[in-house]
Amino acid sequence: MTTFTFATVQYDSGDWDSAPLVPPNIIDTIARYTEIEVTPTGVIVSLASPDLLRYPLVYLTGHLPVRFSDAERRQLREFLERGGMLFVDDHNHDVDGVFHKTATEELTRTIGEPKLLPNSHPLYSSFFKFPDGPPTTSHELNGWGDNLVHKNLFAVMREGRIAVLYSSKDYSSEWNFTPDSKRFLAVDPTRFGVNLIVYALTR
Amino acid sequence: MTALQRVASARRTLGAAITIRALLWALAAAAALFATAGTIDWLIGAPRAVRALALPAAVLLALAALAYTLWRGRNVRSLAVVALWLEERVPELRYALVSALDAPHASLALEREVAAVQWSAVINRALSHALLPPLLVLAAAATLLFALPAGVRARISEPRVGDALLRAPIAAPPLRNRLSPLTGEVVPPSYTGEQHITIEEPSSVEALTGGHVMFRGQGSSDGITATVGGVAAQPSDSADQWRLDIVVPAKPAALELRDRSYARTVILAPHADSVPVVTLIAPARDTVVRTPKGALQLAADATDDYGLDAGWFEYIVSSGEGETFTFRSGVINRVREGNARTGKLSGSLDLDSLRLKPGDLVHVRAVARDRNNVTGPGIGVSETRSLRIPRASEYDSIAIEGAPPPDVDSSQLSQRMLIILAEKLQARGAKLARADVVRESRAIGSDEARLRQHVGEIVFARLGAEQGTEDAGSNGAAADITPEQLLAAANAATQAAAGATDFGGDETPVVAINRPLLEAYNAMWDASRALEVGEPGTALPPMRLALAAIQRARNAERLYLRGKAPVVIVDINKVRLAGKRDDATSSSRIPRAALDSSAERRAQRFDAALNDLAVNPSAAIDSLLALRVDALESAPTLAGALAPAIDSLRAGHDATDALVRARRIAAGVTVERIESAWSAGW
Repeated sequence: MTTFTFATVQYDSGDWDSAPLVPPNIIDTIARYTEIEVTPTGVIVSLASPDLLRYPLVYLTGHLPVRFSDAERRQLREFLERGGMLFVDDHNHDVDGVFHKTATEELTRTIGEPKLLPNSHPLYSSFFKFPDGPPTTSHELNGWGDNLVHKNLFAVMREGRIAVLYSSKDYSSEWNFTPDSKRFLAVDPTRFGVNLIVYALTR
Repeated sequence: MTALQRVASARRTLGAAITIRALLWALAAAAALFATAGTIDWLIGAPRAVRALALPAAVLLALAALAYTLWRGRNVRSLAVVALWLEERVPELRYALVSALDAPHASLALEREVAAVQWSAVINRALSHALLPPLLVLAAAATLLFALPAGVRARISEPRVGDALLRAPIAAPPLRNRLSPLTGEVVPPSYTGEQHITIEEPSSVEALTGGHVMFRGQGSSDGITATVGGVAAQPSDSADQWRLDIVVPAKPAALELRDRSYARTVILAPHADSVPVVTLIAPARDTVVRTPKGALQLAADATDDYGLDAGWFEYIVSSGEGETFTFRSGVINRVREGNARTGKLSGSLDLDSLRLKPGDLVHVRAVARDRNNVTGPGIGVSETRSLRIPRASEYDSIAIEGAPPPDVDSSQLSQRMLIILAEKLQARGAKLARADVVRESRAIGSDEARLRQHVGEIVFARLGAEQGTEDAGSNGAAADITPEQLLAAANAATQAAAGATDFGGDETPVVAINRPLLEAYNAMWDASRALEVGEPGTALPPMRLALAAIQRARNAERLYLRGKAPVVIVDINKVRLAGKRDDATSSSRIPRAALDSSAERRAQRFDAALNDLAVNPSAAIDSLLALRVDALESAPTLAGALAPAIDSLRAGHDATDALVRARRIAAGVTVERIESAWSAGW
């Protein structure tokens, strides 16, 4: 069985490394709740690199405007068409923010417009059960961003599976803490990350 | 008397006879059932549950007999049937009676012929046939019933707990086991106000320490010996019963009863009266009182399992320092609780009267006493709260409890939400009455105005104006200058204070942040005016302008703090609690920990009792009882598991499951859990 490696996408524009503690946190979560073989550290992979194809799931986030180069756009398209899954999270959690506007524009141009993902989608039951859809983050109403609770995620589908999952819920802020701090939390907010990875590995 | 009148008279007589016969059969049936039940109880003894059924069963049987007899005699209501019944039994009538009844006006010849025949003998014979059998049965049943011993009748008619002793013995006294039947009446101490409880055939008696248990059995006490925990106790006589009064000891003990070769063991399992539980409610925590004046309010709750007697507050004042301390103490507000199980205490401590000085400590606690006059009284105390009077030199080190962060102001709707509301109102506007549109629009407008005031406060505070200067910005002194002039003035002041800073030709941060806010502020004024007159469509463009301006201001002042994030390598094995696996292999089975010596001895005693079970059941039961006495304190789980096993063995029921469970607990291999419907099958 191939070991799962959590990959963060590096792109030329913007601050792709704005949530550096998300990878170790999700790796900890995977180790904590599943028997999936997982590498103990995440990797950073360039969006324009062919190495992108080595990872079934890649994570992209940031605050600043996103502009893909032609090479990045081409490589991302190939990655998605060949079965990869891209998880994009708006670190601003702001539908009027620059990341949201530019990232959705780039995704629409590259692979297609993200459409609303119903909350009954198998993603929400692939490991943990989230009957109400994506778990709400504590950052959505923190006074920054659009101050809206986003009821749904958005997705670009390919052959019945999610190719691009787009979130305005700011999981990048919610999951950006050291894994050792989990023991102070009544409910682990990173459990939804397990669903993401299990879904990406099984579809 | 005409033929018709004579037949009617016969019908009345027969009807009365049938009614009396039905009542007699009902009584006879009920009496027979009582007599039978009593005889069975006298001969072999009937359980109380069965005896309790005797009365309702007798009533049902009597009603059934009554109904059946009346139903069988229902034909007596018809004159024709009565006439035919007479014709059948008096042939001399030769159908003259029936003919006389059938004819509307009987002829004199028929009347004369009927009058010549007498049938009173037939009637009398019928009466004796009808009434004699039930009378005989009733007499026999009553005779049997009254021949039974009086205790048996009471056991049948009014079964109650402890009436086993009323059953008259059959065996002659020298041969009889006087230890069975046995009852134990638990008499709690009088202060508890609890009711007496009678237990039949007790193997274990749970009672309050200091209470009494009155054991009773049939026959004389002569020759019966008793020991409680090895100490002899003397039974006494009461009428035709022996009785033994035992004071419930403080620790579990076994009552050993012996009657010649018969023996019986009863476990006395005492429980103690708990001391009152007192909770000090006020003051809620230790504190420091800088100025010891006024009164300190005190409040406490107290509860007790059997009843409170009194409650009060106690305080101790300690004064001094170094090695010299003096103490003063006192009691506040002692109240009687009147045997209630819960009570509230309240009072106040006058700090002025204590003449406290800096450095003094005041300790306060609540106290409650229960009504236990047998083994008590039990006195419960609350936590102690301390009040410290600080010295002047301590002020800098006084601990102040951290307050939670202030709540985020959620009273204001965001500009984005106001736009959404205005858009919805605009969309619904065509279907609403004008008055409703205006009303809802004004509601949005008032929220818009509140938000505008908040933006104004931010801007004017930043630019150096006084707090709450919205009015000043529009009507006051600041109205003399335009927002642009205000910005320029603020910018100049900032530049002067910060010195020469090159911003590369762009606006300075002061202008970059506040200009959009001022634009938003102005746009919100426009929006408010439109909303006030009920024009949400007109208000939307400036509202959107305001939102865009706010976004620009936020982007201008947002800071992204960047630093080198630590490299985190997740220890997968540690997270999975897998440990190091490089040079060691863990066993999947862990050997059971050795029993301690006392548990091992208990297990051996249990095994020995089980071995005796097939050979000498009564001895085995006694061994298990003795084991339970020892286990009540040291291994209560085992004691609890032994109780149903002993009860089942005594009752002659299958005790396998209970013994298996007790065996597992004795061997230390059991895990107590609640079996679900799913797991029970595995």
